[in-house]
Amino acid sequence: MVYMLTKLREGSMFEHRDVIWILVKKDFKIRYRHSALGFIWSLLNPLSTMTILTVVFSLLLKSGIQNFPIFLLTALLPWRFFSIGTMQATGSIAANPSLVKKIYLPRYVLVLTNNLASFISFLMEFTALLPIMMALGMTLTPHIILLPAVMIIEFLMVLGISLGLAALSVFYRDFYQIWEIVLQLGFFLSPIFYDPNIIPERYRFYYSLNPVTRIIESTREILLYNALPTAFDLATPLLIAVLLLAVGYTIFRRLEPRFAEET
Amino acid sequence: MNIIEVEDLWKKFKIPHERKNTVLDTIASTLSLFGGRRSTFEEFWALKNVTFDVAKGGSIGIIGENGSGKTTLLRIIARVMRPDQGRISVNGRIAPMLELGLGFHPELTVKENVVVFGTIMGLKREKLRKQIESIVEFAELKRFEDAPLNTLSSGMQMRLAFSVAVETDAEIILVDEALAVGDMEFQRKCLDRFKEFKKQGRTIVLVSHDMNLVTEFCDNALFLSRGEIVASGNTREVIKEYIRRVESQSVSLLTSDQATIA
Repeated sequence: MVYMLTKLREGSMFEHRDVIWILVKKDFKIRYRHSALGFIWSLLNPLSTMTILTVVFSLLLKSGIQNFPIFLLTALLPWRFFSIGTMQATGSIAANPSLVKKIYLPRYVLVLTNNLASFISFLMEFTALLPIMMALGMTLTPHIILLPAVMIIEFLMVLGISLGLAALSVFYRDFYQIWEIVLQLGFFLSPIFYDPNIIPERYRFYYSLNPVTRIIESTREILLYNALPTAFDLATPLLIAVLLLAVGYTIFRRLEPRFAEET
Repeated sequence: MNIIEVEDLWKKFKIPHERKNTVLDTIASTLSLFGGRRSTFEEFWALKNVTFDVAKGGSIGIIGENGSGKTTLLRIIARVMRPDQGRISVNGRIAPMLELGLGFHPELTVKENVVVFGTIMGLKREKLRKQIESIVEFAELKRFEDAPLNTLSSGMQMRLAFSVAVETDAEIILVDEALAVGDMEFQRKCLDRFKEFKKQGRTIVLVSHDMNLVTEFCDNALFLSRGEIVASGNTREVIKEYIRRVESQSVSLLTSDQATIA
């Protein structure tokens, strides 16, 4: 008996650039279609969190961190991209059965476009809140040219995690809920509303394994402390990002052949 | 070289007796495994030893009762599913019309949806931009082009989707009963388009229960039953065999019913 698996010609990203672009546009339009206020809401969310945390920690608990509102925003925005990006992408395969079953698109396209739409939202939020941060006392320095590098590294992390989560949640439908809990923990395990130096020295290494920690610290270096992140500061998160991508993509490729049967 | 070559194709589905699709279920059943309970599943061969070819420019109709493996076969040709064994080679671009209106979103406008679905179907952006007017016109929806899709009736939406799908320039066209859209006049228009495809030398694979349609369109036919090819070859012969089978089956069902009653 002839035993041979079909050779699948995997389309390159370039070949599918039209589909990727159109799906990102569609995703984006739907996110903000309901009202012109749609985008305003996505700005009000981090601003209100900022206000609440400022009242609690700066005024009531007297945490003593300088420029606390900016300190918060420089962390809240990347954190929002990380949590919303990964959460939205978790269902991107399972929630699109017809795009999986009825046509052959490389399935990573569904995850990638979802992430790209979240990424563009994040960039827009950042741009829109920049004047507010400056009004709150932040000064812009030429160091800001390094910010895109930090953002792209974060994007790669989000993509890696999303690929893994999206594939796993085809088979385990409660992965979304599990990830929600992990993110809740992550909010407290990332230096969002406290200075990472309060973490005891012996836990510092484990603490810094959290990928978001590095992103937040680099963002603050650039925007708040007017310092240039060193090559090492950027190399570690990049390494983590590449690692996450490798793991996420491997999981995705392993499970992909059965997507059409399970969605 | 034939444009589609399928050789000794087998496809298996696993049907678990109890479905575990959450992490919690899996943990629970792993724990109970120590108590001696095993999770079990049934294997089901959806396709068994399927072999056939389609020549370039040929057209083949796949017929058979529900659950005979027609759609699974179509999905494997469309590369959506992978076979467990066997070889399949497809030497051309495929336009799968397994479901019309993929990626349609009710809140986007008619034109926006044309672009989304068209791109998913593999139409080039340039071509879409140039032809969007004629697509909307072919669907007879010119008046609604900027209205959100959910203001259209479901028949109108199908018409729109169909009008986009037939713009494809792929060499191979896979159709899963998608022809039955719209009113009689629109169906006529669609059939004409498909005849044009044939004239242009494109290859058509059609899954249908409509024997008239299969006779009209397909040079060859394939009759599947429970995953196996029962008959293949000349369309009229295959359909004759199909009808003979169906009739003898209903006769045997009838007689066994009478036997139970007696």
